[in-house]
Amino acid sequence: MSSNLGRTLAALALAAAMYGSPLAARAQTVVTIGIGTQDTTTNTVTAGTIVRQLKLLEKYLPKDGKYANLKFEFEWNNFTSGPPVTNGMMANKLQFGMMGDYPLVVNGFTFQNNPESKSRLIAVAAYNRFGSGNGLVVHKGSPYFELSDLKGKLVSVPFGSAAHGMVLKAMQDRGWPPDYFQLVSQSPEVGSTNLQEKKIDGHADFVPFAELLPFRGFARKIFDGVETNLPTWHGVVVRTDFAEKYPEVVVAYIKALIAANEWFRADPKLASEKIQEWTGINKEVVYIFLGPGGNMTTDPTIKPFLIDAAAQDVKVLQNLGRMKEFDVTKWVDDSYVRKAFAELKLDYDAQLASTANYEVKGEDKFCNKPIVEPRKAGEVWVDGEGIEPLSSAACTLAAYSSLKAKGKKINVAYVFDSARGIKLFADQAYYAVGSDKTAIAPFLLKKDAEDYATKNGGRVLSFDDALKVALSGG
Amino acid sequence: MDGTALKLTETVARSSATETPPAVPCAAEPMPAPPKSNLVWRWLALHRSQLRTLAIGAVSLVLFLLAWHLLTKYRVTAHVRFVNVPSPEMVFDSLTRVTRDNKFLSHLFLSCRRIFIGFGIAATIAVPLGLVMGRFRLVREIVFPVSEVLRPIPAIAWVPMSIMLWPSNEESIIFITYLGSFFPILLNTLHGMAMVDPVLIRAAQCLGAREASIFREVYFPATLPHVFTGLTVGMGVAWVSLIAAEMISGQFGIGYFTWEAYSLVQYADIALGMICIGVLGLGSSALIRGLGRVVMPWAKT
Repeated sequence: MSSNLGRTLAALALAAAMYGSPLAARAQTVVTIGIGTQDTTTNTVTAGTIVRQLKLLEKYLPKDGKYANLKFEFEWNNFTSGPPVTNGMMANKLQFGMMGDYPLVVNGFTFQNNPESKSRLIAVAAYNRFGSGNGLVVHKGSPYFELSDLKGKLVSVPFGSAAHGMVLKAMQDRGWPPDYFQLVSQSPEVGSTNLQEKKIDGHADFVPFAELLPFRGFARKIFDGVETNLPTWHGVVVRTDFAEKYPEVVVAYIKALIAANEWFRADPKLASEKIQEWTGINKEVVYIFLGPGGNMTTDPTIKPFLIDAAAQDVKVLQNLGRMKEFDVTKWVDDSYVRKAFAELKLDYDAQLASTANYEVKGEDKFCNKPIVEPRKAGEVWVDGEGIEPLSSAACTLAAYSSLKAKGKKINVAYVFDSARGIKLFADQAYYAVGSDKTAIAPFLLKKDAEDYATKNGGRVLSFDDALKVALSGG
Repeated sequence: MDGTALKLTETVARSSATETPPAVPCAAEPMPAPPKSNLVWRWLALHRSQLRTLAIGAVSLVLFLLAWHLLTKYRVTAHVRFVNVPSPEMVFDSLTRVTRDNKFLSHLFLSCRRIFIGFGIAATIAVPLGLVMGRFRLVREIVFPVSEVLRPIPAIAWVPMSIMLWPSNEESIIFITYLGSFFPILLNTLHGMAMVDPVLIRAAQCLGAREASIFREVYFPATLPHVFTGLTVGMGVAWVSLIAAEMISGQFGIGYFTWEAYSLVQYADIALGMICIGVLGLGSSALIRGLGRVVMPWAKT
């Protein structure tokens, strides 16, 4: 048997030698592609987790031409923050990596000194144009309701993260000195535990913690990144030595990312459930980010305002003495994403110009109205049944009560902030109720709700009281 | 030359050595007075082996630095890759940059204090506990399983628990360094107790010694070398646990400094933090060994 095999091999080798390279080249070369994901950072799941789980990359990988004899193997590595991904990329263990805006510019900057390869930003995973996604939470029972309540208090944030940028920007906007808070650096896992134990007064963090911690029941969000008005986003970077050698693979990767976005939007409920299964982040939290009207827009195009935001991030890091010269525009390379769009027969420039997200739509079965204003709508997730779209906050609350009265188990309800259009957990919002009791306006911030109530001669209610009003009024 | 004279000259030589650095060769001194030269010469002869160790140690450190320098300068890639490893010069630059203000020194000071307290508590609990466990089987049977379960848990895994257990962060940090050093000390003490020659115990018993005296005169001195091994290892592990522990602090400590450098991907600062931890670890282990020599003059080290 083995001697037979040996003879065959010898014959093959002889044949290869006689006919030159073609046969010898048929022996497959294995190329390993390392991809650094952040499964728990919900923003990046369409660039990492979904692509991995649905094997989308395999679907789009080039198979002909110079790739005929190449065999790709994937090494997926999951991390909880960006810096370890950069570290892996620097060491050439990872060729692709995904992370938030601040770690991304640190990635690009760190690669400047790498003689082997640089890194390039090739696509965006998800963004929020106004900075929602990052947020600052306090303990549920604490007496803090807005940022200025935390003056002189102990606030932790992972340094060098998008959330750190948010805090610095918020302080800068208000003209506060750097020591306005006692700002310390804590990673999400440390900060979360510290907040739960009330060791710190506030914790600022990136996606999904500002929603996840309130959802888990011990925290309350008092500041949303949307107030900084500076976009926040996650993107994909690649090593240039790899990208230049296998450009078609990079294009295939972006096609897989586009397919992942489409898969999520086709059935957001199922997708959220799957992501909970894969990453452990609660499906209700995944849905508030990536669901319809969610706080993140998945869109691979590299929009100019995101690049501007990155340039802002560089300035902040330079002011902290953490970074020297770094030209963001040279680091961005949209050629691959353009090529992917062209090959999929999609219009890149149209998508680039659009900042539209997909929205809550359908028929409000409770109030019997179509949904016309998606950012004033709401949703109720009935356990085991589905997600009901509702046309207004009042209808949402009324539907919530009546469903509950029918003995249904409700996972969560969503409403939209009346001032800022961000999606909220209904039970965490403040409600301004006008004197006629028909209009109910939800707000993230107590202060916004109070302002609105004063202006309209109403009052501010908690979720439970608003439920009662919605039932009697509706 | 009898013993006392030797000791005398040694003390004289030692006190003179504190004034002149030992590395200076006698030939370098201008016109040495004959008796003094004699003393220096004798001191050199007496400390030949230590000097030899010192010199070889210095040479090996220099060689290490040189290798590091060359590997990073030529960005050697021979399976192991030095392409992006910071060079010694870069680390030195970091050092000069951070030592411009007191912040870095306060990082070092706080870490040392945490180690000192954590290690101190570990030693005061683990050594007596080990002795008692070694002497009384029941205690050993009760404590040993628990300690064996807790021992392999890495420091980083203790971070969330430690935050929840203790009212202040400083205590949480000290708790983690304490855990790091506790188990090596306990196990080594226990091992030392097991190694005590039963013949000595029986002999002491035959001579009518009571439990307390056996403990004091036989067990304790016989176990002491192992205790010190445990203390040295424990000190090392305490420093190992430091990064995990100081992740909690979010502000201070050399472990935090290294962690923050990692989160901003600053390789030179990471290396600087590593080296500082290494040097401090070396220093504290040397202190323990020194202490060991003082309390156990009979032991050969």
